[in-house]
Amino acid sequence: MGPTPYNSSNSSSSACSSSTKPPPPQPPDQMDHLLAGAGYKVRSNDLTQVAERLEHLETVMVKSSPVDISDIGNDAVYYNPTDLASWVDSLLTELNPNVSGSGSGSGSGSGSGFVSGSGPAYVSDPVMNDMNNVYGEFGQQVVTPIEEDVSIRLVHVLMTCAEAVQRGDMSLAGLLIDDLQGLLGRVNSGCGIGKVGSFFVDALSRRVVNSPQNGVVQVDLSAYENEILYHHYYEACPYLKFAHFTANQAILEAFDGQDCVHVIDFNLMQGLQWPALIQALALRPGGPPLLRLTGIGPPSLDGRDSLREIGLKLAELARSVNVRFAFRGVAASRLDDVKPWMLQVSPKEAVAVNSIMQLHKLLGPGGPRGPPVDLVLDWIRDLNPRILMVVEQESNHNQPEFLDRFTESLYYYSTMFDSLDACTAQPEKTLAELYIQREICNVVCCEGSARVERHEPLVRWRERLTGAGFAPLHLGSNAFKQARMLLTLFSAEGYSVEENEGCLTLGWHSRPLIAASAWQAIPKPSVVTTGR
Amino acid sequence: MVHILENGEHFRADNREPEPEPEGFGSGFSINDHLDLLIEVLKRLDGRSLGAAACVCRQWCAIARNDSLWEHLCFRHVSPPPVGVRPVVSALGGYRRLYMVCVRPVLSRLKRRRLGGESEVVRRVWNQHEVELSLSLFCVEYYERLLVGGGRVAGDSPSSSLKFLCMPVNV
Repeated sequence: MGPTPYNSSNSSSSACSSSTKPPPPQPPDQMDHLLAGAGYKVRSNDLTQVAERLEHLETVMVKSSPVDISDIGNDAVYYNPTDLASWVDSLLTELNPNVSGSGSGSGSGSGSGFVSGSGPAYVSDPVMNDMNNVYGEFGQQVVTPIEEDVSIRLVHVLMTCAEAVQRGDMSLAGLLIDDLQGLLGRVNSGCGIGKVGSFFVDALSRRVVNSPQNGVVQVDLSAYENEILYHHYYEACPYLKFAHFTANQAILEAFDGQDCVHVIDFNLMQGLQWPALIQALALRPGGPPLLRLTGIGPPSLDGRDSLREIGLKLAELARSVNVRFAFRGVAASRLDDVKPWMLQVSPKEAVAVNSIMQLHKLLGPGGPRGPPVDLVLDWIRDLNPRILMVVEQESNHNQPEFLDRFTESLYYYSTMFDSLDACTAQPEKTLAELYIQREICNVVCCEGSARVERHEPLVRWRERLTGAGFAPLHLGSNAFKQARMLLTLFSAEGYSVEENEGCLTLGWHSRPLIAASAWQAIPKPSVVTTGR
Repeated sequence: MVHILENGEHFRADNREPEPEPEGFGSGFSINDHLDLLIEVLKRLDGRSLGAAACVCRQWCAIARNDSLWEHLCFRHVSPPPVGVRPVVSALGGYRRLYMVCVRPVLSRLKRRRLGGESEVVRRVWNQHEVELSLSLFCVEYYERLLVGGGRVAGDSPSSSLKFLCMPVNV
C-alpha cells in the first residue's frame, strides 16, 4: 500500500477535485474515485478493511482514557491522512499496541459501518447524508446484505455523479457513469433500485454525452406513440384513473342544475375520461344536459385527424345513451398557443376546465409578457368557469439547482416504480415504465424550453392559483369515497388516498404522488366609472 | 331434477346424478311447463347459480339469458335503482354483460378485501356508490371497445381496462 503516482492535492483534505487535472481511467483495483475526489488515497479493494479498521479505531478511541488520547494530540509526528489505510493502522497501534495493523479477521458488515457516519467526522459530507436518507426509502425491500451494499453504493454514486454534473465536471461524471454501469450489472435490475436506477443512469449519461445546450437530448415521439404509452400507463396503475374519476365527480357536482354545459379538456388524448362523465350525466336526476366538449391536443402530422376521430367515438357513445353532445377539437402543440376565441365559449353555458398534468408544462421560461402559466390562467379566469380542475404530480421537480431536482425526482420515481411493481399485466407494465422513463429523462436531461416536466407540489399550485384569482372548491366526500373504492379494486395494497384541505392526494405508502384540486374563478372586479 | 330448498332463496340445479322422486310431488309436475314459476325462481338466484342454470338445457338457456333476470340480480339490494338506468345499460351492452364484466369482479374484489380470505357465497348488500362505480367502469369498457374495433360489442371478455378487476388479489 505504498504511494502511487496519483496527482492529488495533498495539502488540503477538503473535498475538492476541480483544481486537479482529471486522473486517467484506472482499473477497478486501483484508487477509489470517490475518495480520490475528496483527497484520500484508498484502493477500491481495501475499502472494506479500511472501513472496519476505522470503526475499530473509533471504538478504541471512545474506550480509551482521555490521557491516552491527549498523548496523540501532543505527539510531534503528524500522520498524513491522505493514505487512509496506513494512517488508521498507525493510530490503532499507537492506541492499542496489541492490535496488529495488517489483516482483519472479521467478516462483512463494513458496508453499514462505512455509511452510518460512525467513522471519523471528515469522511462525511452532505452527499453521504442524503444517501442515508435515500437508503431509508429503499430499506423496505428484502435484499441480501451484499445486494444491500451494492444498492447503497449505487445511490451514492448516482448522487455524486449528479453533483459532478452540476459542477460541470463532465469527465468525472463520465467515469462515475462507468462505475454505475458496473454496479447496475451487480444488482437485480428487475425491480427496486436496480430498475429505477438504470433509468436514471441512462438519463445522466445522455446529459453527459449531449449537453443540453448542444442539441436534442430526447427524441420526440409521434402523437400516436405518445397515446400508446399513455394508454398503457392508464391501464397499469391507478394514477390516471384516480385523476379522471375525481375530476368527473367534481365536474358533475359543479354542473348540478345546469342545462347547457361545456367542458374544455386541456389534453384530450383518447378521451378516456369522458365516457364516465357522459354516463353520469345521462343518469343524473332531471335528465342530461346538452354537453359540449372541446378537446385540445397536438396537431397530428400524419394526416389523421385524431381529435376528430375521438370526437366521433365519444359522440357515438353519447348518442347510445341519449345525451345531446357536441364536440370541437382544437389542435395546438403548446397550451399557450391556444387563444380563448378558439374555444367559442357561450356566455349562457356552464364551463368546466379540466387540466390533468398539463399546467406544469407552462412553468418554463416565458416570453416578454411573463411566464406562460400566468397568461393561460388569466384567460381561463376570463372564461369564468364554474370549476377548474387541476391534477398535478406531487413533487418539486422545478427547483433551480440540478442536484436538488435530481434528488427529489429520484425519491419520487422510486416510489412510483415501487407501486408499479405490483402490476403484473404485460405489455402494460413495460410500456407504462417507458412512459415514466420519458418523464425522468425530461426532468434530468433537458433544460430551458425543452424541459416541460416542471412538476411543482400542491402548496405551490395553491399559491399560484389563489394569486391568479381563483378560490378553492372542496372536493366532497363522494369524490373521496369513490377514490377509496377505486383503489380497493386494484391488486396492490399499498395505495392510499388522503384528503388535504379539500384536495385529494393519491400516494403509495403514505408518500403522495399525485394531487387533485378544484378551483373556482373569482370574477374580476369590473371597472366602473361613475360620475360623482 | 330440481331441488327447492325450504327458504326458497337458493337452489341447485343438478341434473348429473339421478335422484329419487321426492314424496309429496305429483309425478306429472315439471317446472318446464310452468315458465312463470321458473322465472320467479331464477329471479332470486345469485350470479353463479344463474349461470349454471343457463347450462341446463336450451330452454333454460334462453330464459336465463333474459336481461331482466340479470337486472334483478344487479340491482337486487340497491333500492331504488336510478330512473333511466335501463336504456343506458342496454345501450352499453346489457345487464348480463354488466354483471359478468363489472359487477361480479367488483363485488368479489370488495368482498375479498373485507373478509380477507376465501370468498364464501354470502348475501351481500351493496350500496349506491358501488353501483355507480360499476356503471362508470362499464361505460369506460364499452368506450374502449369502440376505440379498438369499429363495430358492436361482442363476446364476453372484457377489454384491457378491466383486466385488473379479473386478476387475483395479491395480498
